[in-house]
This record gives sequence, C-alpha cells and structure tokens, in this order.
Amino acid sequence: MGIQFKQVNFSYTGMQKGYYEAIKDISLSIESKNEFITLVGQTGSGKSTLAQHMNALVFPTSGTLEIFGKKVTSKRDRHIKYNDIRQKVGLVFQFPEYQLFEETVEKDIMFGPLNFHKTEEEAKVLAKKALQMVGLNDNYLNRNPFNLSGGEKKRVSIAGILALDPEVLVLDEPTSGLDPKGKRQLMDLFKSIQEETGKSIIVITHDMDLVYEYAKRVLVLDKGNLVFDGSPEVLFRMNDLSKFHLDYPQTIRVLKGINERFNLSIDIYQKTVHDATAAIKRGLNS
Amino acid sequence: MGYLDIEHLYFQYSSKRMILKDINLSINQGEWIAILGHNGSGKSTLAKLIVGLLQPKEGRITVDGVDLLPENVYDIRKKIGIVFQNPDNQFVGVTVRDDIAFGMENLQVSKDDMLKKIDFYATKVGMQNFLDKEPSQLSGGQKQRIAIAGILAMQTDIIIFDEATSMLDPGSRAELMEYIKELHQEGLTIIMITHDIEEALYADKLVILKSGEIYQQGDIPTLLKHPEWFKEAYLELPTAIQIYYDLKQAGHDNQELEEYLWAFSSSK
Repeated sequence: MGIQFKQVNFSYTGMQKGYYEAIKDISLSIESKNEFITLVGQTGSGKSTLAQHMNALVFPTSGTLEIFGKKVTSKRDRHIKYNDIRQKVGLVFQFPEYQLFEETVEKDIMFGPLNFHKTEEEAKVLAKKALQMVGLNDNYLNRNPFNLSGGEKKRVSIAGILALDPEVLVLDEPTSGLDPKGKRQLMDLFKSIQEETGKSIIVITHDMDLVYEYAKRVLVLDKGNLVFDGSPEVLFRMNDLSKFHLDYPQTIRVLKGINERFNLSIDIYQKTVHDATAAIKRGLNS
Repeated sequence: MGYLDIEHLYFQYSSKRMILKDINLSINQGEWIAILGHNGSGKSTLAKLIVGLLQPKEGRITVDGVDLLPENVYDIRKKIGIVFQNPDNQFVGVTVRDDIAFGMENLQVSKDDMLKKIDFYATKVGMQNFLDKEPSQLSGGQKQRIAIAGILAMQTDIIIFDEATSMLDPGSRAELMEYIKELHQEGLTIIMITHDIEEALYADKLVILKSGEIYQQGDIPTLLKHPEWFKEAYLELPTAIQIYYDLKQAGHDNQELEEYLWAFSSSK
C-alpha cells in the first residue's frame, strides 16, 4: 500500500518549443504510515508536479504509479475511481488560504466531506474534529474565514483536507508567507498530527532549518530528477549542496564557522540552538 | 527631511481595526532599510501605501519633496518600484522581453529606446540570453530578476522588495541577495520588507513593526543587544546571536568566541 512511483515521467506541453520535462524517471516508494518527508529542490525542479501525481491530480506521461493499490498510468481507466485516491491522499495547495470561499469556517471545512457524499450531520462532526486537529477551538466554527489571520486561514484550509480523513497528507509549501514563529507552529502541528494519527505527511519547503529539525526523510529534486532520498542527517553531511540550489541549516553554518576560525572540532551536526550551545561547551572544554 | 518621508501615517481597511498607527519614517537616498515584522504587523500594507496602491486614512507621504496623492501616483511610480513575493503573479509578459517592456510601455518610452533598454537591463541582471523565453522556462529566482530588470528599466530611485525572496530556493535567494547588494552599492535606495532576520542583516538600518506600529528602529548591532525587543515583537534573533545569548546564560565567557558570533551576523 502507500504510494509507489515506477519510472514515472511527466512532460508539460509548452506554448512554443515543444514540451518540457517536469519530472524524469522517478522511482520512489512512500509508506502509508509514519512517514515525515520533506520535498526540496530549486524552484521549477518539479516538486509541485511530483506532489500532484501523489493524488492522481495529474497523470504520468509514461511509467506507472500505484496509489493505495490503484494503478495510475498515462491512460485513464474508467474502472478506477480516481476520487477514492483523492480521499486517501489529501493535497493542500500552495496558498490554500486563497481558496477559502464559504461564509463560515464550518461550511468551508464541510465542503470536502459533502462532496465525498457524507451527510450534513456527518460533515459537521468531521469539520469539528478537523478543526480541533489544527489547533483551533469550536469558537472558530461560526467565524468568517476572511476575517482570520494568515496563519489561521492556513489552518482552516488544512482542516478542510483533514476532514476527508486522508491516510497521507501532502502539503505544497505550507509555511511560505508565514513568519518564523508561524512556520514553527505549523510544523509542530504537522508533527503532532503525524505522531497522534500515524498519517504519513509530505511537506514541500525551501527552509533548510525546518528540514533539519523536522524531517525523518528528505527527497531532493534537481531538474526533474530525484537526486537524493534519505535522512536529513545524511543530506547535510554531503559536500556542495549548492549544486542542487540547497544550503545548510543555520546551526551547521555557524558551528562550521567556529571550527574553522578557532581550529576546533565541535560536532557541527546540531539541530537546535540549545544543542549547538551544548556542543560548543563540550568542544571548548575538551 | 529624507528622500522618502512618512509622517503620522494611519491606515485601516473598512473594518474597525487600525492596520497602521502613527508611522513616522524618514529614508535617505542610498540607504538600505529593512522593515521587519510578524505576520499581520502591517509591513506589506505599508509597502502598498508607499507606492500609492492604497491611500492613507491620515498622515502624509512625500517623495523627493512631493506629496503622494492619487493624482500624481504615476509620477511617484517613476521614482519607486516594487517587487512582490510571488514571482508568478507579477510576470505579465508572454516572454521575458515583453515582461521587461511592460513598465516602460506605461511610461511612453519610444520603441527604439525601449529595445535598447531591454537589452541593457536584461544584461545587467544576467538574463540577456533568456529574452525569448516564456515564464514556464524560468526558475523563481530568474523571474524575480526579470521583475527587477523591468523596474530598473524605469530608472526608479527606490526599489521596495516585499518579501521578494520568500518563495525562492536557498540558491536563488542567496543569489538575489548578492545582486541587491550590488544595486545598493551602485547607489540605489533599498526598502526590504521581510520577516526573516537573516535577510534583514544586510540592511544599514532596521525598523521593527509590531501590531501596526513602529516598535523599534535603529542600526542592527544596537537592536540585537536587546533580545527582549525581538521576543516582544514575536520575532527571532539570528541563529549566531541566539547561540551567543544561550552561551552567556550558561555562564560561558569567551570573548573571542562572542566577537566571532557577532561578526557572523554582521558580515553580510
């Protein structure tokens, strides 16, 4: 189960000069439980295209995708209910807050479940539960989504997808536009949803500090190719990440600078400021 | 009097809450100012007021001694350009060439002059080989550079970057910051709206907005000496400075290391 990519290619047809390959020869397996993946890479490297394959929003140009046992290829199969896939894998677009449209938060969250043939009562229960999962209390149910802050709007739109009770949650740059505190709160929220429900979570981001602190697994795309699939610990030990347009987390950069300047051998692979401080103290004492 | 002066500026949308309260700010030619603030602090609203996309409720904005009013907003736009957050939302041309031309078309630049300027400014931002490309063939960083070329072609005195790097990958972002640095060295006035302190460190002066008001302003080393101000304004300190305060709290004294951590955050 889960999501399997087997040699998946996808090409967009451009306005001029033929086509343009968005993802190339992707083979990849995502478990249906307990994954916390960040998907990183240069703008235009194919991250969003890859994410949109995960719930059959786009179909491969060639190769095979298997999503919770259902095969997705270039040809639509009329025996397959693609909507079932979209319930199993929830996709939250970039700037989802722009897509809020109902007059109350409750109605907005109920929209998905109603579309998936839940009754009014069932949808209400699901909406309430989803709102709790994103850390907002019942008082928000009757509020107008347009009067919420940016961070709250993002949470409401994520609740709209959670209300479908997907097994896997895919989020396209959910933290963009948020300040550092807002980013961290949202990542903490994903972490707690992941730990409490066991749902697999896949987050697209450009923020290496967040990747290092939160991800269990990192996928790196470069010009449509999957060039790395492994832990952040292994990724950030690699030399020359700039070739993938990536960078190192701030803690690693500061500690590396200290080692070079003072000729020390502090263990630079520290995820938080507190760990970095502790490592410096150990390094100075030894 | 600076080149850009904001005096007792108030702004609200139709709702009751005041978005900006009594903003006073003076920016000189050639300065690089970073406006830092939490989500909802009013920083993007301030940028929109400065380019005349919104009208103040009270107070005034003057640019080069001229009051910014709805009737002269086009004159002001010749002096102040703005680059927004999302490179996809501001790419208006079919090709890079059309996109750079767009701003100039509004200024009635002659065709010959325009073609020369397109070449010149595309070269300046290092995109001369991309003139016939479509937006889908460009990276986010490249699109932002095209947006900048379009503004440079209008020969404005000030460019406002409204969270212009926040959607870029780390590589494109570092590249863009280095490029802005070059423009600043050439004398362009930069107003950088951001919630990222690491990015704000490039500026000469920092303005911290909190809930619609100017909470603190000054040079960066002075502000960094007050970690409580950042906490109060819901902001983070640079990582090196966080480590500095963390070490200090743990009773660690190593002057050389402290100096290094400070230098790490001011060497931008």
